[in-house]
Amino acid sequence: MSLLGLEDREWIFLATVVFTITTILGSYSTLKLHRKTGRPYTVGLVSFGWILQTIGLYARGLQYGGCPLANRFELVQFLVWSAIALYIFVGPAFRVSLLGMFTSGFASALSIVSLAVQSWDGPSREPIFGNSPWIETHAALALFSYGVFGVLTVTSCMYLLQSRSLKQKKVGGLFPYMPSIFELTQINLRLLVLGFCILSGSLAIGSVYWSRAVESVEFLKIGATVAVWFAYGILLLLRVKESLSYKQYSWACIGIFAIALLSLDAVDRSTKPISAKARIENAWPRL
Amino acid sequence: MSFERHELLLITVNHETVPLEERERYSLDDEQVERLYRVMHETSAIEESLVLNTCNRFELYFKTNDPSSGQSTVFHALSDFYGIPLDELESHAKTRGGQEAIQHLIEVSAGLRSQITGEAEIFGQVKGAYSKCQQLGGAGALINRMVQKGFQAAKLIRHSTPIGQGQINISNVAVDLSLKIFGSLDRVSALVIGTGEISEKTAKALRSRGARNFGVASHSLERARSVAESWGGEPLLLEKLESYLNAYDILISATDVERPLISKPILDRIHLARRNRPLFLIDLGMPRNVDTACDELEDVYLYNLDDLAKIADDNLNERKAAIKTSEEIANQKADAIWRMLEKRGLVNASTL
Repeated sequence: MSLLGLEDREWIFLATVVFTITTILGSYSTLKLHRKTGRPYTVGLVSFGWILQTIGLYARGLQYGGCPLANRFELVQFLVWSAIALYIFVGPAFRVSLLGMFTSGFASALSIVSLAVQSWDGPSREPIFGNSPWIETHAALALFSYGVFGVLTVTSCMYLLQSRSLKQKKVGGLFPYMPSIFELTQINLRLLVLGFCILSGSLAIGSVYWSRAVESVEFLKIGATVAVWFAYGILLLLRVKESLSYKQYSWACIGIFAIALLSLDAVDRSTKPISAKARIENAWPRL
Repeated sequence: MSFERHELLLITVNHETVPLEERERYSLDDEQVERLYRVMHETSAIEESLVLNTCNRFELYFKTNDPSSGQSTVFHALSDFYGIPLDELESHAKTRGGQEAIQHLIEVSAGLRSQITGEAEIFGQVKGAYSKCQQLGGAGALINRMVQKGFQAAKLIRHSTPIGQGQINISNVAVDLSLKIFGSLDRVSALVIGTGEISEKTAKALRSRGARNFGVASHSLERARSVAESWGGEPLLLEKLESYLNAYDILISATDVERPLISKPILDRIHLARRNRPLFLIDLGMPRNVDTACDELEDVYLYNLDDLAKIADDNLNERKAAIKTSEEIANQKADAIWRMLEKRGLVNASTL
């Protein structure tokens, strides 16, 4: 759908360009000029990209009359949008150097892939949540938690990079500008708790709907979502009990997020618009 | 010595121009600096002056109302002041005039001209000299404008180039690495084994960056106690190292040993109790005090003397590589400042 003279995909394309520019500028500034791009500039650029992306997603959402979460392209875009929103609004509390550069790199990588694979953006322009705002909230929260886990993956990569530099005594490149490994471990824990709570909330909302009409949700979708929730839950438990080294924990964060991304395939497959809408309306005739 | 016909002049004697034994003769205490300012006030050809006096340099920036003879007048005055024959003084000193004097001030303030390239202390020394100059009435419109703008240019150089980045002495490199592991050192405990100079410097550097809890371990409790009293910290007996090692996050070891004090089996034994807390081992001993196999353990970061020295060397090389870019910035800024001074009528271009 066109908004302000541009198609929704074009807005998203522009946002991707801004995220990519932020990453390139940040890397150039740090590695070549030996100074960090000032936080206001990074936040400004990322926020600009996020606004462009919001317009694109809003334009698409207008077609559904709800959150645009109908195909894999939209799921990935919403995840990226969530990760960037987290960086813009919660990131300052973390006080992590280069988080903006890394997060925009993560956002541009996912966004480029989702734009490049045309088949991900299937022609599903029907409302997918029926008239149920709760199902929409459930889906949006689940995707937002994936955004949090995306940022967790970014900070886990930062931890592994920093720890590797310290181990190998290679203290050039990004090393002087990155946060300490202790700070990264603390942020990783906070992000895991946050993401797990949001995902739990999403599943709690979804379970109310599911318990009323068990057949309305495909087993694959339930299985994949619960498996991801369970995996992050176990990881949180192990982290709190200090049963994993920070390196193992970081790799686990990256691994589980990769699985979570693959699980989007299961979520996508079970949201064929017409059938999803019919199933939801069967389960929630009053809403 | 070259002859400069400028209203703004600089006479400098520094580590680049003369060796230490000659430089010593130009060193001034506070009272002598005050006396020199009085001499400058009494010299009719001098309108403004700024004295920069550090362990590595004596510099006099001044504005003269007689560009044709100002330089020689000041040389005579300095020769009388120091009691150094004029020809000797002229052979030790370098002179710069106009824009070159401003560029020199910027380069000195940014640490480009320091013996240890990029060191930050000089900036404070120049600021101190300027403050004294204002106090003693040496600064007028020209010096004030030149120094203030020069400071801005020096700050720009330090922020936009790697000239002052990376530590270049071993103790500070160790502290920087500690910060990269622990973030803040406020809640970090450090154990010092060995009571040599390098251990003391490293402990002091850690303390200056916020570390509060120290242990001092020695083969003799008496010795540990006496060192702990002077450095601050808890005295510990080295023989019982394994019993208290777990309580520390940083270990600085520089003692004479035949076999490594810390081995992988020792760290394996305390691993569970550490609950993944990182351990930073700084081995400054020769022969080495920590078995290299300890580095194989996750969350253990082992750096020996060579590792730290290599980082310090690399940082110094990076700084040296940044000199050319920094000089270009200094040149551009000096040019801009000079044009601004001309525009304001503080210097006269026709005297060039």
